[in-house]
Amino acid sequence: MPEADAIRLAQQGDAAAFERLYQLHNRRVYSLCLRMVGNTAEAEDLTQEAFLQLFRKISTFRGESAFSTWLHRLSVNVVLMRLRKKSAAETSLEEVTEPDEESGGPRRDFGAPDLRLSGSIDRLNLQRAVEQLPPGYKSVFVLHDVQGYEHNEIAEIMGCSIGNSKSQLHKARMRLRELLHEALRDKAREERKAAGGNLGAED
Amino acid sequence: MATIGCKDFPDYLEPWMEGDRHPDALAHVRDCPRCRSLVEDLKLIQATAQEWGRTESEPPAHLWNSLRAQLVQEGLIHQQSIRRGWLTGWLPSLPRPALAGAYLAAVIAVAFGLSGPVNQRINRARWLEGTQNSTTPLRAQFASAEMNATPPSLPDSNPTVTASLHNNLAIVDNYIVLCEKSVNEEPENELARDYLFEAYQQKADLLAQLSERGGDGR
Repeated sequence: MPEADAIRLAQQGDAAAFERLYQLHNRRVYSLCLRMVGNTAEAEDLTQEAFLQLFRKISTFRGESAFSTWLHRLSVNVVLMRLRKKSAAETSLEEVTEPDEESGGPRRDFGAPDLRLSGSIDRLNLQRAVEQLPPGYKSVFVLHDVQGYEHNEIAEIMGCSIGNSKSQLHKARMRLRELLHEALRDKAREERKAAGGNLGAED
Repeated sequence: MATIGCKDFPDYLEPWMEGDRHPDALAHVRDCPRCRSLVEDLKLIQATAQEWGRTESEPPAHLWNSLRAQLVQEGLIHQQSIRRGWLTGWLPSLPRPALAGAYLAAVIAVAFGLSGPVNQRINRARWLEGTQNSTTPLRAQFASAEMNATPPSLPDSNPTVTASLHNNLAIVDNYIVLCEKSVNEEPENELARDYLFEAYQQKADLLAQLSERGGDGR
């Protein structure tokens, strides 16, 4: 069933059409949720919530924008709403706001120049580092660098200015670089410790 | 010769990453290994993120069942358009032996109690009795699985998701009550029995999820 037909039939409450729309878009919506929350159970819950909202509102879809764009914006909003709730409930203000935000401008310290990320980061390392970002940075980074949204779209979705989106993205990348360097240093330390242990054992 | 220093470079970095490279910043990056390394790292992060964006993950199959139960509950989809094959989507992965037992009981119930050709002239009371005989042990199995799926002593690091699963379970339970009522009223109605069967399947899916969460303490 083509998407346009599925949309029309779903607007009339046809179950097969709902299922078709779900099958067409579930991977992208679930992947977005998973990237933004980093937890499969929560990503499943958010995917269900996003599709529920979609199906509740589908009768209002008039086709002015692409259906997938509409759905993905709706999904992003569902995730952002959850992140906001979580950050309000679980995180203190200090944890959400990076220290440099108070003084304004990015940090001047670039980190140790001796460690190079080149050749040492992969998707998994990056994923772990992204999970440690404050919610605002994480959202902008995932939307822009991973999902491929433009700053004007992010500004619209998140209700902020384009400049703010750019600045958050820059700070997110800088923070990620720090986190990845920290992970590299930890790994190097562990390797040294293991090597020292092996030498000790040989003695 | 570079006209800016490392101290000023961050001011040029944000536009740099957007593709706006000021000649002074370009000259500085050419001469400064430290700032060059910074730019390379940021580009690498950007490229790895793009690569990450190209991969997609598959949500678990039970998600549609639970979504559909909610859609039925809210009256968003027509029940008559749900009709599916008896075993469509059945036999998902079974995480716990207890639930495997419940699934098996459901299959047996469906095969011997709830199923049958409706075009035969069959005594209404016999249908009713058959349905009750099939669903009573099933209900007992579900009750036992439900107790095992939600051990109160285990920690739950994500109560939002657990609460949502419990909420879905409550919705499915209500749906089962409605389906059972329909089956009791019209025991020979194949469609009503189809719905009841699917509702049991959804309940088993949800219990399996709760059981898994309880089991690993997530």
